[in-house]
Amino acid sequence: MLEIRWHSRAGQGAVTGAKGLADVVANTGKFVQAFAFYGSAKRGAAMTAYNRVDDKPILNHEKFMRPDYVLVIDPGLTYTADITANEKEDTKYIITTHLSKEELINAQPKLKGKEVYVVDCMQISLDTIGRAIPNTPMLGALMKVSGMFDLDYFQNAMKKVLSKFPQKIIDANMAAIERAYNEVK
Amino acid sequence: MAKDIKDLGWNELIPGAALFSFTEPVEDVAEVPMDERPYAPTNSHEYSVGDWRVEKPVFNRDYCIDCQFCWVFCPDMSILSRDKKMIGVIYDHCKGCGICVEVCPTNPKSLLMFPEHMDNDEALSKWPSKEEKKK
Amino acid sequence: MAKKYELNEVEVWDGNMAAAQALRQAQVDVVAAYPITPSTPIVQNYSQFLADGYVDGDFIMVESEHSAMSGCVAASAAGARAATATSSQGFALMVEVLYQASGMRLPIVLTVVNRALAAPLNVNGDHSDMYLGRDAGWINLCSYNPQEAYDLTLMAFKIGEDLDVRLPVMVHQDGFLCSHTAQNVRPLQDEVATEFVGEYKPVNSMLDVSNPVTHGVQTEEDWHFEHKARQHNDLMNSKKVIKRVFEEFKDLTGREYDFVYKYKMDDADIAIFALGTTVESAQVAADKMREEGIKAGVVSLRVLRPFPFEEVQDAFSNIKAVAVMDRSAPGGTFGALFNEISAAMLAAGKSPIILNYIYGLGGRDTTIEHLVDIYRQLDECAKAGERKYPLQQFIGLRGPKLSFY
Repeated sequence: MLEIRWHSRAGQGAVTGAKGLADVVANTGKFVQAFAFYGSAKRGAAMTAYNRVDDKPILNHEKFMRPDYVLVIDPGLTYTADITANEKEDTKYIITTHLSKEELINAQPKLKGKEVYVVDCMQISLDTIGRAIPNTPMLGALMKVSGMFDLDYFQNAMKKVLSKFPQKIIDANMAAIERAYNEVK
Repeated sequence: MAKDIKDLGWNELIPGAALFSFTEPVEDVAEVPMDERPYAPTNSHEYSVGDWRVEKPVFNRDYCIDCQFCWVFCPDMSILSRDKKMIGVIYDHCKGCGICVEVCPTNPKSLLMFPEHMDNDEALSKWPSKEEKKK
Repeated sequence: MAKKYELNEVEVWDGNMAAAQALRQAQVDVVAAYPITPSTPIVQNYSQFLADGYVDGDFIMVESEHSAMSGCVAASAAGARAATATSSQGFALMVEVLYQASGMRLPIVLTVVNRALAAPLNVNGDHSDMYLGRDAGWINLCSYNPQEAYDLTLMAFKIGEDLDVRLPVMVHQDGFLCSHTAQNVRPLQDEVATEFVGEYKPVNSMLDVSNPVTHGVQTEEDWHFEHKARQHNDLMNSKKVIKRVFEEFKDLTGREYDFVYKYKMDDADIAIFALGTTVESAQVAADKMREEGIKAGVVSLRVLRPFPFEEVQDAFSNIKAVAVMDRSAPGGTFGALFNEISAAMLAAGKSPIILNYIYGLGGRDTTIEHLVDIYRQLDECAKAGERKYPLQQFIGLRGPKLSFY
C-alpha cells in the first residue's frame, strides 16, 4: 500500500488534489482512498489530506498513517506544521519553496538526512493559472519523483478529471503540471 | 355487515391509520348530494353529536336571504344548503353552539336558539317581529 | 424527462456523492432539506443535479430539519417519492417527525451521515444520532464504505416502498470516514438503477381527490395500541422483503448483502462486533491476528432494524469471546449493541465472554493498533476460559483507564 500525506492550507486545493490523484489512479484499476482532516477549518487554516493506493480493496479507515510521501504545498507549513510526524525511514518529502534544497534544509534542520525534493508550486501556479492554487503542480512533481505515471499519461488523465472546467483553465493546469515535473529537484 | 371499527383487531386496521371519507371513490364529489355519498363508517358524518345539545337552532325560511353566513361559519358543517339555497339544520351533527344565530344578519334573525325539547312548529309560532331601530 | 448522467465503470466518489447519485437515479420527486455538516453535500449535489436537468423533481428549502422531515411526510402522504439527508443535531431535531413518518407508514428515505451529538459541539463522526433514532420504527441499513452507501440507498427505496412494507428507511454512513472519503465506486448506469428501483406506487394518496383520505389522525387508548402493534409486526416482517431485495441486487450487480455481515467467522474463536467503517478496519486487524495463528473474525449488522436476532445468534454460534464496540456515549449503562447482542446470546443458551468497548466518540481515531489490542484481550480471555478484563472499557481515551464492572 502506498500512502501519501498532504500539508496544505484550507483553500489551496489539497482535497481536490488528493481526489484528482485518486481519480487518475482508479482509472488504472487500482484501489484508492482520498480523505482529509477537517476541524472547524476556515480558509487559511493548516490542514492535512491523505491518499491511500493499493492493488486490493482498501479496508483500513484509520486516520493514522505512516506516509511514503509527504507533500507540502504551502511554503510556511514546513516551519509551522509537524510535517515529519509518523514518518518512516524512507519517507520522501516534496516541498513547495522558493529556496534551494540546501537553503531549505538549513532553514528547517529536521529535514537533514531525509530524502527531500523542492519545487516552487506557488510561483508555478501564479505564473500559469494566475492564482495561488499549488495542488496540480504538486501532482506534476509527485509524478516525476515517484515515477507513478509518465508525464503524457498523467496529463491526459488529468484532462479528464478537469473536464468540467473551461479549456483555458485546463490548459493552464497542464502547463503547471509540466513545469513542476521538469523543475522539481 | 362490516365490523364496527371498535371491534377491529390490530391486523384489520388500515396501515398508518389512514382514514378514508368514503367506502369507494366518488367522482366530482361536490356535485353529489350529501345523502347520496358513500360515507365510510369512520367518517364523522356517521358519528352523531346531536345529543350534546341543550339548546337548538331553529331555522325560519320567511326571513332568510340565503347569504350563506351560517353555512360558512358552522364549525360542524351542520347547515344544509343546496344551490346556494338554505334548507335547514342537520340536527345529527349540530352541537348547539349558536354561532349560526350569532352571524345571521336578518331582522328578525332567521335562526334562533330554542329549548331542545320544544317542537320546531311551536318555536316558529313564537318568532319575534322586526326590531325597530332605536333613534 | 431527466437527462442521462455519464458515468464511468469506476468512479471515485465519497459517501456523500454516492448517496446523492443514488437519490438522483431513484428520481426522487421531492427532497425537502436543511443543510448540516457532514451530510450537506448529499442534498447539495441533488439540487445541483436537479438544476442541471439530471432529475425530475422538486427541492424544497426549509427552515429546519423538523420542517425538512415534515415536508417529506407531506410529500409522501400526497403520493410522491420523498427523501432527505441529515446528521447529528439536525437528526435530533427531526426525531419527532421520524415517529410521524413511520406511524403514518410513509416510505421516506433518510440518508444519515452519522455524527456526534453536542455538547461539546463536534462535527465529526460517531453513532450517537443513529442510536437516538433506533426506536423510531424505521428500517435501518448500515454501510461501511461509499460503495455500500450507494447500493443501500438504491435498495432502501425498493424495500420501504414495497406494498408489504410501506415503512421509512434510514441508510447510515460514518461522518467523514465514509462521507468525505473518496473511494472506488462501481455505479449502475442510470437506466439500470432506475429500473431496479422501479416506479413509485402511491398508497392512500392525498392527491386522489375522488377518494379523500385523512393522514395523521388522532387515536387514544381505543386504537393507538393496535396501530403500533401492526406497525411493529410489519417492521419485523419486512425481513422477507429485505432479503428478496438483497437477492435481486446481487443478481443485478454481483454484490452480496445479508442481514449480518461476517468476516472469517467460520473458524473464529474471537470476534469484534462493530458498525460503520470500523467493520472494515477490524478486518485488517483480524488478518494481523491470523498471521500470528489467532483465529479472529469480524461481525456486523447490515440491518440494525429490524434487528436480525436469529442471524446474530448464528453468527456467534462457535465463538469463545466477543468484543461489542459501541460508538455512542452509553449514558449510564452498557452500549446499546452490547445489550442487544448479550440478549441474543442469552436467548440462544450461549455464554461466550462478551466485553463492551466504547470507542471513537466525536471522531476520535480508531487505529488498527487499538483493534489489535482488543483482539489480544479477547484472546487472553478465550484461552483462560474466563473474563480477564472489565465488562465495559473506554479505548483511545486520554487520562487514567476508564472502565466499569
